[in-house]
Amino acid sequence: MSTAIEVEHLTRRFGAFTAVNDVSFTVGTGEIFGYLGANGAGKSTTIRMLCGLLKPTDGHARVAGHDVGHEPERVKERIGYMSQRFSLYLDLTVRANLEFFASAYGAHGRELEHRIGEMLERMQLTAIQDEVTGSLPGGMQQRVALASAVLHRPRIVFLDEPTAGVDPVQRRSFWALIRELAAGGTTVFVTTHYMDEAEYCARIGIMVDGRLVALDTPEGLKRTHAPGRVLEVRGPKLAPALDALRGEPGVLDVSRFGAGATVRVDPERLPGEALGHWLRARGVDPLEMEESAPTLDDVFLALTAGAQRGED
Amino acid sequence: MHPLVVQYRAVVVKEVRQTVRDKRVMALLTLVPLVQLFVLGFAVNFDVRHVPTAVVDRDGTVESRDHARTLLAGDTLDLKAEVRDEQSAEELVERGEASVALVFPPDFEEHVLRGSGARVQALVDGSDPVRSGVAADAVARHAALRASQHLREQARVRGETPPRPAVELVPRVLYNPELATAVYVVPGIAAMLLLIVTTIIMAMGLARERESGTMEQLQVTPLRPGILMAGKVTPFLLIGLVDVGLALSVGAWVFGVPLRGNLGLVALATLLYVLSTLGTGLLIATLSRTQQQAFVGGFLFMLPAVLLSGVMTPVRAMPDWLAWVTYLNPVRYYVEVLRGALLKSAGLPDLWPQVLLLAVFGAMVMAVASRRFRKTTA
Ligand SMILES: Nc1ncnc2c1ncn2[C@@H]1O[C@H](COP(=O)(O)OP(=O)(O)O)[C@@H](O)[C@H]1O
Ligand SMILES: [Mg+2]
Repeated sequence: MSTAIEVEHLTRRFGAFTAVNDVSFTVGTGEIFGYLGANGAGKSTTIRMLCGLLKPTDGHARVAGHDVGHEPERVKERIGYMSQRFSLYLDLTVRANLEFFASAYGAHGRELEHRIGEMLERMQLTAIQDEVTGSLPGGMQQRVALASAVLHRPRIVFLDEPTAGVDPVQRRSFWALIRELAAGGTTVFVTTHYMDEAEYCARIGIMVDGRLVALDTPEGLKRTHAPGRVLEVRGPKLAPALDALRGEPGVLDVSRFGAGATVRVDPERLPGEALGHWLRARGVDPLEMEESAPTLDDVFLALTAGAQRGED
Repeated sequence: MHPLVVQYRAVVVKEVRQTVRDKRVMALLTLVPLVQLFVLGFAVNFDVRHVPTAVVDRDGTVESRDHARTLLAGDTLDLKAEVRDEQSAEELVERGEASVALVFPPDFEEHVLRGSGARVQALVDGSDPVRSGVAADAVARHAALRASQHLREQARVRGETPPRPAVELVPRVLYNPELATAVYVVPGIAAMLLLIVTTIIMAMGLARERESGTMEQLQVTPLRPGILMAGKVTPFLLIGLVDVGLALSVGAWVFGVPLRGNLGLVALATLLYVLSTLGTGLLIATLSRTQQQAFVGGFLFMLPAVLLSGVMTPVRAMPDWLAWVTYLNPVRYYVEVLRGALLKSAGLPDLWPQVLLLAVFGAMVMAVASRRFRKTTA
């Protein structure tokens, strides 16, 4: 697999504040690469550097074979960008927006018509092409934004929180479009703070306070940062039992939620049945217990908690 | 088609679509200037006519009545009231019912006949300097005329050849023979309105792109700042031409502004002038972060630009250092071209310096705006 994006020691400071701190990674062609992090972690700043909108303070990045610091215009011709803020002309129709952005990349005449028709079809926007963009619901506006970001058939697209504030159904259909793009060979760099979406990515980078603290496939991240098995438990007298549980061998992590708790265990040393016996013996009876695989939420919590402990 | 042409056309089309959709901007571009032109055209009509005049004829002779009649015969002074004494005349002036009072003293005829310096006193309300100036002038002219007539009369009676006056002043007003102020002021108003409309629209338009995030989207496209600026400016250049056309048509039709000169030259100067004002609008937008800042910035530029253009106050009447500042002002050059071409039929041979300076100003301000725009990109 060839490389679409190469990032080496990329750093961006605003005054004394370091928004992106010595970040390095590569993204392969046709890959869906996810960038995960809390608000203010430095996701947008990274993307804006990769799009040639912001000069790196330090380090290098090559996007589609061109250095973003030295040849930002070359980079811009080859990429698509959907900014975190909705950034189409709300006072123009869907079609007028697409026409404008397609021509900004030099498309015209029959070629322009053809591309727009095809894109409207693919994004299921044909019926609303003459609507004023500002009058559309959020999910639809996001699809128009995606359409105008990929209309010129870029090899790489950067999507900055494309599904922020969109309902789950719309989010799923939006991700179907993203996967379709990647299947067609487009490299997708996408930021999100929805963990369920991150599962769709081939690889995920996790940012905490400007640093890239982890980078792997979703499975790999879970194996490394949230190993074991996750059990959700509910029952009476849970609080004292959980406190006692924390020190037991084979227990990796205990976290409370509402009336219950999630217990992560090493299944080799403490199988589910053994944990059940242990809890019942301490008065948690009747006990409800449900087993699940670790999620990226668990990974994320483990990593951010680690980062916070590191700061202390 | 060359990609640059495609891009340029795309920006023009987009700007036109946005402008046409925005009813407020459309009104600002067409209706408002026309209404303003009417209102201002009538309001600043400085023509002094029909000044209400009180007459105090304390002589009551043929000579005094004759003088009063000739003074009131033109349409500068109109008889408002005849009163008995100076006091009542002064009161009329004080109350604003009369702007001028003419007082003929009791021995008026006697002095005239003896040739021993007859006097007419004119009380003039000085609170309106233009009016009082014209009224006082009318009285003075009348006096001079009568004096020379009188000298010639006496000479004839004595059988001598009438003497020629030592100095004879024969004023002849050129280019605007009726001294119609609207004719002079309408080109100035047109320039001023064009300035306001184009500067504000451009400054606000770009600031809006910045505020709404579309600017960032533009910046990731391969659109070059120069193309973007050119495309943004083009529709408003044409609208500027139409606006001037409208203003001058109304000026000609309502206020009798002559359309004598080379209209091609007027169109050329208009394009260059609007390029300057639009460029200034763009520059202001690159210096401001919000639409509000752009709006305020626009006014900070326009106020001095209007005041120091010769539209309101003649440049000649300014102190030297201020008059120098007007050399940096495109409004000044444009007004000079408009007045020169329309009122004096002046052509390019006379007005080329102004046209050239407008072109230089326009090109420079556009270049600076594009450069600044590129800088804000990084
Ligand atoms: N232009 C800027 N000037 C100063 N600080 C900035 C600027 N852009 C971003 N930041 C700061 O950098 C940090 C990272 O921001 P950002 O990359 O937008 O985070 P994210 O997209 O992950 O939410 C934030 O603390 C933000 O306030
Ligand atoms: Mg962000």
